Amino acid sequence: MARIVTPTAFDAIDPAKRIRNVALTLLAVGVGVLVLWLLEGAGSTKLVQALALFAIWGVATVSLNLINGTLGILSLGHHGFMLIGGYTTGLLMLDEAARQRILTSARSTMTEETLALSVSNLLRGVGLDALTTPETLWVRFLIAIFLGGLLAAFAGLLVGTPSLRLRGDYLAIVTFGFGEIIRLTASTRLFSAYTNGALGFPGVTSEFGKSIWWTFGVLAFTVFVISKLKYSSYGRAMQAIREDEIAAQAMGVNVAYHKILGFVISAFFAGVAGGLWVSWLGGVRLDFFLFQLTFFFLVAISAGGTGSITGVLLGTAVVVFVRQYGDPLEENYTIQTWLYIASATLALAAAGAVLFRTLRRLRPRLHWGSWVLLGGAAVAAVVAAVDPAVIEGTFRGFGMRAIFLSVLLIVIMVFRPEGMLGRTEFSWSWLLREQRTGPTDEERTQDAWMSNPAFRSDAGAAASREVEGPSDAAAPDDDEGGR
Amino acid sequence: MAMLEVEHLRKSFGGLTATNDVSFHVNQGEIVSIIGPNGAGKSTVFNLITGVYRPDAGDVRFEGKSIVGKSTNQVVDLGIARTFQNLRLFTNLTVLENVLISQHHRLRSNWLAAVFRTPSYRRQERSMREVATEKLGFFGPRLQSFRLHQPVYVLSYANRRRTEMARAMATGAKLLLLDEPSAGMNPKETSEITQIIRRMRDEGGYTIVLVEHKMNLVGEISDRVVVLDYGEKIAEGEYRSVVNDPKVIEAYLGKKAADDKREELADG
Ligand SMILES: Nc1ncnc2c1ncn2[C@@H]1O[C@H](COP(=O)(O)OP(=O)(O)OP(=O)(O)O)[C@@H](O)[C@H]1O
Ligand SMILES: [Mg+2]
Repeated sequence: MARIVTPTAFDAIDPAKRIRNVALTLLAVGVGVLVLWLLEGAGSTKLVQALALFAIWGVATVSLNLINGTLGILSLGHHGFMLIGGYTTGLLMLDEAARQRILTSARSTMTEETLALSVSNLLRGVGLDALTTPETLWVRFLIAIFLGGLLAAFAGLLVGTPSLRLRGDYLAIVTFGFGEIIRLTASTRLFSAYTNGALGFPGVTSEFGKSIWWTFGVLAFTVFVISKLKYSSYGRAMQAIREDEIAAQAMGVNVAYHKILGFVISAFFAGVAGGLWVSWLGGVRLDFFLFQLTFFFLVAISAGGTGSITGVLLGTAVVVFVRQYGDPLEENYTIQTWLYIASATLALAAAGAVLFRTLRRLRPRLHWGSWVLLGGAAVAAVVAAVDPAVIEGTFRGFGMRAIFLSVLLIVIMVFRPEGMLGRTEFSWSWLLREQRTGPTDEERTQDAWMSNPAFRSDAGAAASREVEGPSDAAAPDDDEGGR
Repeated sequence: MAMLEVEHLRKSFGGLTATNDVSFHVNQGEIVSIIGPNGAGKSTVFNLITGVYRPDAGDVRFEGKSIVGKSTNQVVDLGIARTFQNLRLFTNLTVLENVLISQHHRLRSNWLAAVFRTPSYRRQERSMREVATEKLGFFGPRLQSFRLHQPVYVLSYANRRRTEMARAMATGAKLLLLDEPSAGMNPKETSEITQIIRRMRDEGGYTIVLVEHKMNLVGEISDRVVVLDYGEKIAEGEYRSVVNDPKVIEAYLGKKAADDKREELADG
């Protein structure tokens, strides 16, 4: 009989530490809430806006990572799902004044019927007039983003279907195509009565998209659902599909169902993020939902680590920071300054190359490429210092933010391809270095003992008994099946 | 009635007939080995049974019902699980997770119940973990304790084979198809796995179909042996009678060896 060793508890956290972890979490949440409250009171709108944007994009990146990280499917159509949620929320929450303006505007393509679509009218229709007062705006907003999420989830169902037949790059192209199709059809005559064509419409309430409480509340809910899903049996099945689809199916996982499920849940939260996003922007327009949005999300999840939800949030924080505080990158500077910047960048690149070669134990550490970079840096610095008349003038670095993010991504991919956090989730035991990365010495000795049959009486006895091979001389030989 | 009945199975890939009119059956509680030279079509038979390929002709019946046309995961639901010749573990996941995943298809909670960790979901999750340790326990303590939480990529080759077998057992299947379970193992590990396969039948109650090249393993544990060559069944029966069959010797060792054997049999 097999001697079944009781494993040292599955989630080997002793109760005292669990209590400590909960206490620390509550403390951190308390401090966080206090800080947010103080910030809001201090009236730093720029910071509040950035934080709200972080939460909104966090909803989008965490949900995108359910497809990209957990299911292992490269999906490039997230901006399409967000658009559906965004336009739905925008239309349903448009305020009365804006509706009147659009109705009377000559360039508008919206009709009286489509402009009558609103959560208020919906609630009036079912006799819930109490919920149409200005005080209950939040109820209507929740209903609107929920409906936006549902519509996006339906689109997720459609986009997820090709994932059953296609794989890898081909599928990525299809998801990208779907995202663009959604954006382009939104502006066609088919839908322009709802979307106001390429014009879009302003007048969506900013009360929620720019509120830290609402955005972080939705983010908390999203992280709750997606992390609980990822670390459940369903999430394991999805990761199995990522690891080896054929093996997953051979082990009974219904691959089609789990792929579609991942797409639908992810698209739902993308739709919700889209609703918050239009509220943050205060209006709806087609160019709020460019592919660039998905690009930013991909940078965030790759930089943070597709294997870790907290890593994805960290990556999102970096991207949002660069977006909101990256203005100095795109200002007007003299060409002299740009030359200094170029010189510093080249020098940094040379330093990075040396560091890389040192980490990878490559010799010589100073590759000739590094010398070229250093030489370039020196030339740029000298030219800038001499400041000849030919380089007079100024230059504005449009798009520097995106370039900066791309370079950042390249650097992270070179030095840490699994992303900043890799597959580790942030946790207190991780922070306090209690997490185990391998067996302890004690376990190592125990292991040596365990795997040596000579030391064991039960299984060892059977295993160490020499098996007599077939006595027949003509028996085909071991391992030798070949002709 | 036999547990598994394979009847006149045929499958070609383009011009190559990988399986041609193969029939055999497996009774409950048996260990049946399929042997044959490389490329004989052994793995193809497994792929046909488990629904990876659809047969061109013939029938596969499990517990009396035809399973042709069912998808791979439906076949697992019915009670047939397999291992792969070239290890297909979920490499970045832990040993425990690997063995839990194969039980997922028996989970009776929907995804919302799983997200909100309902009591019923928690109960099932606990019992899944018990099953996982029980199945890993077949291989002694070496896949227990901290090993449970190690990612598969740090395991030795032999331990990966063992994990894959535990994973197949955990599906809850009654019939296991093991594709070269001892490939890449040293003689000591091979003799150990031989005993374990026998215990899987005796203690675990599994019926086992085995594809193997190591003849002493096959000889020691098989109730019956099916020999394939060029996609056709050339012999079936007890190990000793099969390895003395001139046709089998010809398939493995060539015509001359077979003629010698024929003479020997005629003399004796
Ligand atoms: N998907 C496929 N497409 C084309 N040919 C295939 C396919 N699968 C198997 N074959 C061919 O069918 C024949 C039988 O292959 P199979 O893998 O069943 O052999 P096997 O008996 O398992 O051999 P081995 O002992 O090497 O594992 C081989 O010639 C192989 O090349
Ligand atoms: Mg094979």
